[in-house]
Amino acid sequence: MSDKVKNYLSVGFFAFFGGALRCYLNNIWAQSGTFFANVTGCFLLAFLTYFFLEYREGRDWLATGLSTGFVGAYTTLSSFKLDTLKQLLEASYLPAVTYFLSSIVFGLLFAALGMLVGKKVGQFFTRKA
Amino acid sequence: MNTIILAGIGAIFGACGRYAITNYGKKNWPSFFPFATLLINLSGAFLLGLVFALHVSPFLYALIGTGVLGGYTTFSTLNVELLGKLKDHQTKNFFLYLLASYLGGLLLVFAGYYLGKIF
Repeated sequence: MSDKVKNYLSVGFFAFFGGALRCYLNNIWAQSGTFFANVTGCFLLAFLTYFFLEYREGRDWLATGLSTGFVGAYTTLSSFKLDTLKQLLEASYLPAVTYFLSSIVFGLLFAALGMLVGKKVGQFFTRKA
Repeated sequence: MNTIILAGIGAIFGACGRYAITNYGKKNWPSFFPFATLLINLSGAFLLGLVFALHVSPFLYALIGTGVLGGYTTFSTLNVELLGKLKDHQTKNFFLYLLASYLGGLLLVFAGYYLGKIF
């Protein structure tokens, strides 16, 4: 199988679980579910990105599937925007602004945290290997 | 069918579409700015506003809205790219990308919504 086909299959396979998990969180926690998925996803993607920069184990399809497929589908910008739209249409301005700004701040914060942890864990595994 | 399964199936197509556009962008577009992710997120926000305004059935919404468009757009890649801009001290590109994604996305979700209201 060519690497390209392998990567697409891997992205699709892992995306199923990312999208399903986000939908589940959305079903139980509504808008907070999307927020939770987005900030934890920022941590996970930064973790994976910087982990695989340190720890190259050769299976490109696995890194692509987990990051682009699973985490990419797990997080979403469109639903976050739609939530903000709904709040603005209902004229709940303070919650809308709070949700909007906290997504920006916590998204970056969790990405930075994921980067630090991912680097450390990657270096640890590389030293061991 | 369960909405969770439908969202998962939709996400397969959304994520593969995102992967295809990102790959195309890597080859053909300048690398100093994440144009591919921006295009994906803005077009996805527009389409979701449209789908929401059309009041489709909950099943179709889970498949297309939560699944395809949710899996197509991404919040995590945006933030990891923003972090990269900060790390490289590209402050101007950082703020440009942040504003274009967050405010541009909000404008486009409204544009899609009001377009859908017409129909």
